Order: sequence, then C-alpha cells, then structure tokens
Amino acid sequence: MLTSTNSLFYIAFLGQIFLLSYYFPKKILGRMKYVMDTYPPSQYPRLYPKPIEYYRRGQLGFKYATRFIVVLGFVILYAIIFLVDHSTFADDGYISEAWPAAYGIIQFLPLMVLEFSEFGQYKMMRKANVATTRTADLRRRGLFDVVSPVLVVLAVSLIVGAILLDLYVHQFTIEWGHDTVERAITLTLTNSLLAGLGAWLLYGKKLNPHQGPGDRNKQISTNLHSFLYVSMAMSVFFMTQAVDDIYNLDFLDATLMTLYFQVIAFLSLGHGLREQKLEDIDFEVYKDGAGDEKGQLA
Amino acid sequence: MQITIDIDHPEPLFAQLIEQIKQAVQSGKLSPGDPLPSIRQLAKDLEMNNKTVAKAYHLLERDSVVQTKGYRGTFVHADAKANSTIDLNAWVTNKLSESIAEFRESGVTDSEIRIAFGNVINERSTKGVR
Repeated sequence: MLTSTNSLFYIAFLGQIFLLSYYFPKKILGRMKYVMDTYPPSQYPRLYPKPIEYYRRGQLGFKYATRFIVVLGFVILYAIIFLVDHSTFADDGYISEAWPAAYGIIQFLPLMVLEFSEFGQYKMMRKANVATTRTADLRRRGLFDVVSPVLVVLAVSLIVGAILLDLYVHQFTIEWGHDTVERAITLTLTNSLLAGLGAWLLYGKKLNPHQGPGDRNKQISTNLHSFLYVSMAMSVFFMTQAVDDIYNLDFLDATLMTLYFQVIAFLSLGHGLREQKLEDIDFEVYKDGAGDEKGQLA
Repeated sequence: MQITIDIDHPEPLFAQLIEQIKQAVQSGKLSPGDPLPSIRQLAKDLEMNNKTVAKAYHLLERDSVVQTKGYRGTFVHADAKANSTIDLNAWVTNKLSESIAEFRESGVTDSEIRIAFGNVINERSTKGVR
C-alpha cells in the first residue's frame, strides 16, 4: 500500500538497511583490512595472538553476515509492501514498529559478535603477554576528567524529563503493566547498564595489556561520550512515545522506530569510528620488545 | 605522563613506584597540587595489589612528597620537589653505619650489635613506640 506515510517509512527503512548493514560494516571491514595490511604479524606480533588466517576468517564471516542481513532487509521490505496485511497484523492497522525493531536487533547481532570477539582478542593478548613491565598513567581518571559535567547533567535531566513527561501525559498513572511504567523501567535499566559499563571502563581492569595510557584514555572518552549520546537519544525517543500517545501518532510509530535505530547506530558506531582514527592509534606497542624497559618516565 | 614498573626487577614494586613518582616530581612532570591516580586505579592499571600501591603512597606521604586530602584523593605536596631529593633509606644506612663504626671502635662485637639491635627493635615494636 503506497500512502505518503508508508512511503516515508519505506525510505527510512532503506536508510536503516544501508546504514547498519552496509555503510558501517563497510567502514569496519576497511579498518580491519587496513590494520592487517599496514601492521602485519611479522612486524607487529603482539597484535595477533592467533595466526592471521583466524582474523581473515573472522573478517569474511562478518562480511557475509552483514551482506546476508542486507538481503534479509530487502526481503522484509518486500513483505511489508506487498505481502503483509497490516490491518490484521497490527491492532491499529498501520505498519507495526515491530518490523524495524526486530530487523534492527538482527542488524546489531554481527556488530555485537564483533564487540565480544574483541574481548576474546584482549584475553588472548593477556595470555600471550610475557613482558614483565607494566605501564600506567600518573593522571587521575575520573568521570569528569573524560567527559564534560554539562553533558552528564544533560543526559540525567533528559532521563528524568522523559519519565516525568510520560507520567504527566498519562495523569501519573502508576500501574504494573502500564506502558508508562514499562518505559520508565526500560529507561532506568538501560541507563543503569550504560552507567555500569562506563564505570567498568573507567575504573576496571586494563583489557588490552599493550595499549598505552594515551590511547586508553581516548578510547574510554569516546565510549563514554557514545553512552551519553545514546542515553540522550533514548530519552528523546521515549519522549516522542509519550507525545505519540497524546496526539495519536500511531501511523508514525514504525518510521520513528527505524529512525531511532539509525540514530543509535550513528551515535554509537559512527561516533566511535569518527573519533578513534587508526592513524592516531599507537601501533608501535605491538612490536616485539616495545616498552619493556623498566623505570621509564614518559 | 606514564610510569613503567618491572615485576621481575629485584627492587620491590612499591620502591619502584616511589622512585618513579619522585623522579616525576624532580623532573617537573608532576607539579605541586597535581592530583595522583587513586590507589585502586593505579593498582588496576599496573596489575598490582592495592596494598602495594597503598604502601608506596603511605611512604610518599610520610616523606611529604604527596598529600592525601580525604575523599578528594591524593595530590602532589607543595614541598614535594625539595622532599623528593631526601632519600630516607640512604639516611638510615648512613646513620647505622656511623653507629656501628662507633660500637666497633669501642670493642663491641658484630654479634652483640645484632642482638642489641634486634632487642631494641622488638622492644619498641611491643610497646608500640615509633
């Protein structure tokens, strides 16, 4: 069915397919290739605790998984346009937001696998690390040393604002199972998870045994900024859900959901890729014997 | 600014830490009032026990190289540069050498010096005298 609202969704959904399963994966694959070509195992052995073929296989697996998800996206779009009867599939008769949400979760899967494999890579690096030297920064690493207090206050205000707006719109109805309560719980739990991850990055164990303090601080700062931006985007999305309930904008639900996934990807993946440029990372630490001298002050 | 510790070095870890923080102060890489990482942060980053870092900080505080300001954390002391040049280990060794030389001149044997030294240390530890 081609109405203007549906057309808007189709265009937005095409954007979701492109951004999450083609554009960002292509950038990530480009970075993988650049690292393997520019910093080969012969010169940077500490970067590769496993043979290079292992990483090439992982690279290929990621490439095929994302390509498959692109095809899946087009199949879903075809089904939404030509096969699904939306009047029976959703209560309100509009395209259900479950389509972009479920597809978005599938799109994030290979990216999450990649993220988890990074932890595995660090674990192997720690296991293979025979260096007896340990390096640390003599600067304090507090939350406000890496992110602006204004940003933190803004993110927290938006969380509180989103919950209060939702409660206000629904006449402060606090009942178990009610949308408002579910949204408040979801927002609180997701933000608690982000806060926990942030604290773990700031005060937790050093994952990459070779990473210099400068690169580590940059990585922590980039990740914390991403978390804050994602939190803010989530609060704004939840506010739109509350507004949606006042003005009965159900016809926009699916479009908002697909845009939400794109904004989240842009603020998390996009921000990370933009801020952590490969040419700024110190790869010399992955050479044999790098930084093994005791008592260095740098 | 960063420090590097060697876990296989014969010098104890806390001593390496003290030495490098003092070096950083002397070279001007750390200035009076600069905040230092928390014990937990430094211990995690250097894969050390918290107690080792706490011991180093405690000794640096004793030497007035650093200053702990309650929950606000640890900072470089205002007189850190001057105090970093004083080596208490060298001072103790020097004082003991002088005393031992004096005892030997008076005819006291090394064995008697060891016993007396041990007794004094034990007696003061038991009474809790510093």
